[in-house]
Amino acid sequence: MRLGRYELTLEPRPAVSAVYTVLTAVVAILLALALSSFLFLSADASLLGAYRAVFSYAFFNPRGILATVQRAIYLLFCTYAFLVPLRAGLWNIGLPGQVFAGALAAFAVPFVLRAQEAQTLALAPGLVILLMVAAAAAAGAMLGGFAGLLRARLQVNEILVTMMLNSILFWLVAYMIKEGGPFMGATAEGEGFTLPAPLTAPLLRGVPFTAALALGAAVLLDLLFAKTALGYRIRAFGENPAAARYGGISPVALSLLVFLLGGAFAGLAGYHAFTAVPGVYKIPGNYGFYGDLAFYGIISALIARGSAVGAVPIAVLFAGLSLGARFAQGALHLPFGVDYALLGLLMMTFIASHALYQFRLAWRRVPSEVLQPAPTELPEG
Amino acid sequence: MPLTLPADRAPTEPILAARGITKRFPGVLALDHVDFEVQAGEVHAVLGQNGAGKTTLMNILFGLVQPDEGALYLRGQRVHFRSPHDAIAQGIGMVHQTRRLVAAHTVLENIVLGHPRVRGFLNLRGARREVEALCNRYGFTVDLGARVWQLSEGERQWVEILKALYGGAKILILDEPTSVLTPPEVKTLLAGLQALVRDRGVTVLLVTHKLPVVMAASHRVTVFRSGSVVARLRTGEATEEILVQHMIGREVAFRTADRSTETGRPLLHVEQLSAFNDRGLLALRGVSFSLRAGEVLGVAGVTGNGQEELAQVLAGLRPATSGKVRFDDRDVTHLSPLERWRMGVGYIPAERIEVASIAAFSLVENTALNYHFDPAFTPRGLLDDAGLDQLTRRILSAYNVKAPHQYARARHLSGGNLQKLILGRVLSRRPRLLIAHLPTQGLDVEATAFVRAKLLDARAEGAAVLLISEDLDEILSLSDWVAPIYEGRFVAVLLREQADSETVGAMMAGLQKEAGAR
Amino acid sequence: MWDLLARSLGASTIFLFAALGELVNQRSGVLNVGLEGLMLFGGTAAFITAQTTGSYPLGFLAGLTIGGLLGLAHGFFSITLRGDQVVSGMGLWILSFGLTTYLGSAYTGPLGLARIPSLMGLSPFFLVGVALVAITWLLIFRTSLGLAIRSAGENPAAAEASGISVVAIRYLCVTVGGVLAGLSGATYTLSYNPVWNYNFLMGWGFVSLALVFFSMWNPWILLAGASLFGIMWQLSLSPELVLPGVLSRYVWRTVPFAITIPILVVISTPWFRTRWGLAKPEALGRPYTKG
Repeated sequence: MRLGRYELTLEPRPAVSAVYTVLTAVVAILLALALSSFLFLSADASLLGAYRAVFSYAFFNPRGILATVQRAIYLLFCTYAFLVPLRAGLWNIGLPGQVFAGALAAFAVPFVLRAQEAQTLALAPGLVILLMVAAAAAAGAMLGGFAGLLRARLQVNEILVTMMLNSILFWLVAYMIKEGGPFMGATAEGEGFTLPAPLTAPLLRGVPFTAALALGAAVLLDLLFAKTALGYRIRAFGENPAAARYGGISPVALSLLVFLLGGAFAGLAGYHAFTAVPGVYKIPGNYGFYGDLAFYGIISALIARGSAVGAVPIAVLFAGLSLGARFAQGALHLPFGVDYALLGLLMMTFIASHALYQFRLAWRRVPSEVLQPAPTELPEG
Repeated sequence: MPLTLPADRAPTEPILAARGITKRFPGVLALDHVDFEVQAGEVHAVLGQNGAGKTTLMNILFGLVQPDEGALYLRGQRVHFRSPHDAIAQGIGMVHQTRRLVAAHTVLENIVLGHPRVRGFLNLRGARREVEALCNRYGFTVDLGARVWQLSEGERQWVEILKALYGGAKILILDEPTSVLTPPEVKTLLAGLQALVRDRGVTVLLVTHKLPVVMAASHRVTVFRSGSVVARLRTGEATEEILVQHMIGREVAFRTADRSTETGRPLLHVEQLSAFNDRGLLALRGVSFSLRAGEVLGVAGVTGNGQEELAQVLAGLRPATSGKVRFDDRDVTHLSPLERWRMGVGYIPAERIEVASIAAFSLVENTALNYHFDPAFTPRGLLDDAGLDQLTRRILSAYNVKAPHQYARARHLSGGNLQKLILGRVLSRRPRLLIAHLPTQGLDVEATAFVRAKLLDARAEGAAVLLISEDLDEILSLSDWVAPIYEGRFVAVLLREQADSETVGAMMAGLQKEAGAR
Repeated sequence: MWDLLARSLGASTIFLFAALGELVNQRSGVLNVGLEGLMLFGGTAAFITAQTTGSYPLGFLAGLTIGGLLGLAHGFFSITLRGDQVVSGMGLWILSFGLTTYLGSAYTGPLGLARIPSLMGLSPFFLVGVALVAITWLLIFRTSLGLAIRSAGENPAAAEASGISVVAIRYLCVTVGGVLAGLSGATYTLSYNPVWNYNFLMGWGFVSLALVFFSMWNPWILLAGASLFGIMWQLSLSPELVLPGVLSRYVWRTVPFAITIPILVVISTPWFRTRWGLAKPEALGRPYTKG
């Protein structure tokens, strides 16, 4: 848009302060919440009542709080799974597949040890649990590493590979728990077998030990990126792969590593969702929902701009919001999918805030090349 | 010694003329009241080193850039070119230094791309007939159905020339057309241009830094230096020596190498090193040399003759196609970049922002780019923040880097300060082999002198230094050995005493001369 | 047998429309990985519109429009803002996935309209698809506009130097891509399987994306690929036709996706790349800065 000698341009923002980063994150979330008022239009209650129902259940109701904590742990693991490759400039959208792989691996341990029934336990329960955790992490890591390796060695698009793996794992889980599959539960209702009580994740005041893992991982990850040489290499590669290579950093090794690590976290998310949440303790028939939920991890990592500790409050918030929205949906007779809509709105506002984050509108003088050349005296030709 | 000959009294109006052209870019006067004219039906060479102003003038003639002062005249009439469209409409065509062709498409498709006469349904058959007629008229043979990627560089050049002619050009500007051609391709090009001019009345403007091309193909030559025209000659009345002298001139040299320094044992031994460039062409063709501790080898040449590939192969960032590199009696030809850093190789790339530093990182984090693998700075895998902080502050003060503090982002540093930081960072590792590629490019006088002094300090401390530069003064003032590079080969490896600016300048431009070789 | 083939080609049509649109915008240099999102939104908008108005034409119009608008949004982010095309695409996908789940949930269930008549069991949209393939091929390879599109995707600097507005071309192509993606979704929800369910595409959008790579950006090879994939999908739904009793049907469902991966690997190897790799638009996914 031109106005005389000046024009309105979009130009890259030169420097972004930490305050501005937090500000854009907050604005994105608030904007999404504001937009979600449309979702509550058809509600049985006033707009304020609708918001109150959502928040009060998630954060002020004893059962709701516990559910929020459980979901927050799950989302945190998913966030880390996306965040680590993101810092290296890579996209791990294979979260659902890696979660499922982790879940299958976790349940494979008691299956292999024939420990589905409590009486037949041969090993100490603690050891079995450890094995389950390790198996889940390993399975997720292998799935992620597969995509990472293909990307690092052959530049195969990691988005396509991970999406294919998502679908493959989704159907594999269905095979395992439905219609006579190996993990099918005793009730044969299209869900997996229930874990015997000794093999469920130990609780501390109603919260499984995975909470400690999740919070510990947040601190460790941020320390990794801020303080260690490896973390430096990942960040350097994410910022400028050519400079990283110049500085002696191996693109192949690094790409593979971040996908292994990311996949491992997603595997742990799968462990948590199905073996650590009271009342679940099996792979349920609606396991696909957990896969969808994993996408909140993507948004958390994006809004937190790669900070693991910063993602903790965001994940807790999203956990509460999605739970509260589902609760409000029932209480207020809203159509299904309010939590999904919220996910969509958050993504929309994130993209908008991302544009604001990177660019700004400015009035600039039009460069002289575009204007007519000034006439000069004609020397003798 | 013959000096500038008087400008020709042309019997006819020049077909294209520029009068009093002045152009300023931020910080530099690119053209200073330049008068320039071309006669119809001639091959006119525009000669000068990099930065002399010739490309800027051509861009003005083609409408890509507007002059700050002065005017253009086409066939005697005053003209304004607001964009290349205007120039093309008036019959001026330009073939740029970098290819503007779509490699995956056929020759015919490239020629007709964007042509106003070819609209709607691609009547390729009709266009093909027209282009074939054009080829016959100008005496070209080229397979119109071939894909451009299948063609050699020389053939691609012809496609661009054809495209310009199909667009109706009667005046053809060629910017460094021979820079990526093999010698036989150069011959073909020059012969073809002569035919175009002689038989078809096309006028050709040939921009180049290469003397053999000027001597072989042009009728007249205009020599540029530092934004001014310093000579206008009939090629038949000029010699290469005269042209070189005009091109280079005399300038103040900075601190020179102290000849009394003792040199140590042989450190680097390079044998028949060859490598491909990114386009898959052989850019380095069998380079051999040795370097001792405490010596500087100055590789002098215009960018595009294989220097980048040489630096990258020695740094481990590009695979060698053939040949060997021995460092410290160890075959390092296929060693990774990381292992080279560990062995004591230090590399200062020409691309300060894209490769040598990370713009979004702080200065301390940029220092870590050369220290993240160093056990002294990574105890138990953790970065030694305090140590890096201290090191960075030392570098900032020792190298006079103007920055607010060590945690400022690298992108906020000016070019000169960034280069000083990079230099300080690399030199702080006390490399035994230092590869410096265009270390003072774009720097102001003060920064340039500083960088050169530091390179000599490294030499005095026993490092073997490979200096790759376009600046002859820099090469001559810093080097113990001078190797002009031309089309991927060292023309010679001269002792400093035997290397004077005319000789080296001539060799850089492709003139072969026998001199003391190693 | 004919029934199986006809049903397969019905599925192929869905892949075909979306992949064809993506082929067009990729040819101009813009990558849209959020194809699935545009298809979801187009399909949902079409379903809701048809359900509430009882009109198929209006439903299709809604689907096409939404697809075009989303394509335009992607274009704005990628071309004008020169943002990361993957971020924009992913964003559009998740956004659509979330919003359509909510918007469509009230309409879960079958479309209450009479089925669009088929021609001897074959969906008429397949024939539309074939026609579109022919038109696309003609456009891309036989017109000056197509030459301009291909040049913008291979070497935008060369195209711009030849007088072509790369920005205009890319906007045009990304909008066309969006419209076709919307058509694909609409065809799914209004014809192929007129029952709305959340996330009804189940990854088909990404398969379409992969198909574009497989087809080496040639519409006719794309048609073949889409047909093959449709047959594979249909077989995986009824494996008893091929290998009765072997493996659970769920395992069969993974086969189409599993086959994609080795194919992706093969086309990425140096051997393949040296022979066919030149088909990829050179400037695909890279933001273009004029001048």
